[in-house]
Amino acid sequence: MKDDGAKLGFRLTLPAQVLVLFISVFPLLMQLYISLTDWSPLAGTSWTQAWAMWNTFANYIDLIYDHRLWSALGRTALVIGVCVPVEFLLGLGLATLFMDDFPGKRAAYSILIMPMMVVPAVAGYMFFMLFQSGGPINDILSNLIGHPITVAWLSDPNLALLAVMVADIWQWTPLMFLILLAGLAGVPEDQIRAATLLGAGPVQRFVTIVLPRMKTIIGIALAIRVIECFKIFDTLFIMTGGGPGVATETISVYIYKIATQDLIWGYVAAIALAILIVLSIACVWALKRMART
Amino acid sequence: MTRALAFEVLRYLILVTAIAVALVPILWMASMAFKPIPEWQATGAALTWIPKAPTLDNFRYIFGTNSNELIATLDRTAVKPILASFLAAGLGTVIAMTAGTSAAYGLSRFGSGSNLPLALVQLRLFPPMAVMTPVMIMWAFLNFTDTWWGLALVYGIVTLPFAFWLMKTFFDDMPKEIEEAALVEGCSRARVFWRITLPMMRAPLASAALFVFILNWSDYLIALLLTTREWVTIPVYMASLSSSMTGQLYGAKAALGLIAAVPPVVLGVLIQKHLVRGLTFGALKQ
Repeated sequence: MKDDGAKLGFRLTLPAQVLVLFISVFPLLMQLYISLTDWSPLAGTSWTQAWAMWNTFANYIDLIYDHRLWSALGRTALVIGVCVPVEFLLGLGLATLFMDDFPGKRAAYSILIMPMMVVPAVAGYMFFMLFQSGGPINDILSNLIGHPITVAWLSDPNLALLAVMVADIWQWTPLMFLILLAGLAGVPEDQIRAATLLGAGPVQRFVTIVLPRMKTIIGIALAIRVIECFKIFDTLFIMTGGGPGVATETISVYIYKIATQDLIWGYVAAIALAILIVLSIACVWALKRMART
Repeated sequence: MTRALAFEVLRYLILVTAIAVALVPILWMASMAFKPIPEWQATGAALTWIPKAPTLDNFRYIFGTNSNELIATLDRTAVKPILASFLAAGLGTVIAMTAGTSAAYGLSRFGSGSNLPLALVQLRLFPPMAVMTPVMIMWAFLNFTDTWWGLALVYGIVTLPFAFWLMKTFFDDMPKEIEEAALVEGCSRARVFWRITLPMMRAPLASAALFVFILNWSDYLIALLLTTREWVTIPVYMASLSSSMTGQLYGAKAALGLIAAVPPVVLGVLIQKHLVRGLTFGALKQ
């Protein structure tokens, strides 16, 4: 009976295993091989012949001195550093408003999570329109300030990144809200009531009872957003294409550009592998830390 | 008492602001979709918030009926990109759900494939851009480039982690008594899975499938890399819409954007109670 189960279990997991191997092992080996060469799709030879352009570690040395790569990484870190905390605080603030019942709660909830359901590329297009110099955002600002404003948000190198971050915050604050609200709902109500009876104010209750119980959930929410934010591409690429110049070029946009415009795939493979290695180390480190606590 | 009242007032003020912020970008696009060309952009005069002369021309235009001489008729209509989006996202969902559901059951009941949970989370960790060049080479070799099935295969793998984790938590939650009773009656384990478990899990399966479909439907980057002309999906097609006469085809793009936005928003409402579970890899249930 036991063997019967193991056999069926193996068969059932086989398709997923094959797909995972298919997308990880083969491409990884291919990346490793190409990253040690100068191969490009324009080389005129198949990638299997890439050894003819062997350059050992030249690509890896190049990436150490690649200023555009480092500034793209720095920009990505800046986007993460601004967007994730803002989304977290806004999401947490909104979630606390939903802790008790009030008329219209369900409708408000459904509307507030709408932005994250919008296709990211479409959201990018929405904000592309909103941030036009003759667009609604300037119109609203003009009305608020009292004199006409015609800022060209997306073609100003200093403002374009801000516009991109606004779009990201608009789209993903609902995700934080959704996760944190689910976390808040899991805090036992009798404990809060007991604390109230003992004379704890709302702020004290929140800090001493609610927050400690939400540690794991907050960790999950932040981790998800940091990972997704690191990959940021769709909205940003539709809004600015990484421009003006390289003003909004994040790591995904940079790799996209050198892969599709410069077509130096040996170098692309080197960057990709370097990122995969760093992320894997970070991932193992984070999991070890989580296991310890 | 007055403090409680002040709190209620403050809460509604914040909520109204938040709802306005959430809705304005969506409503602006919706409004743009029904505007005739002269209202697309503010030309000296004030901005048009609500279309003064609402029209369906933008929708007709992307489907090939052009009633305006200011813009050239499209050589390719939105019909095929919409079809491509449906086919690729649909088959991708079938692949992810088939592999994900069976693997989740194998792990949940028989402990097989214990490497999968971590491997699949890792799959999710890496930026797709970093692993796409080898896939592009392989797809060119297999003649999968610019086909909806080639795109669907990548979608199926990319969303497999979500299908697997969602179904795993559903199987873990399911009471095992019924399955055990059937086993005692002499059913084989495979038959129990096929005839008893799966039919019982119809609702969770549907939710997980809708969730995965939304994710596939939302893709832009992968389609941008793997399709070039014949099977471009809605977002790729949309980004290519422009006219030499008027520049950005604001209204036409907005109409298309509205069409692209409708399925996820509608399906999202249907699976609202499973959203958190799906998005946190089952770590959190609502």
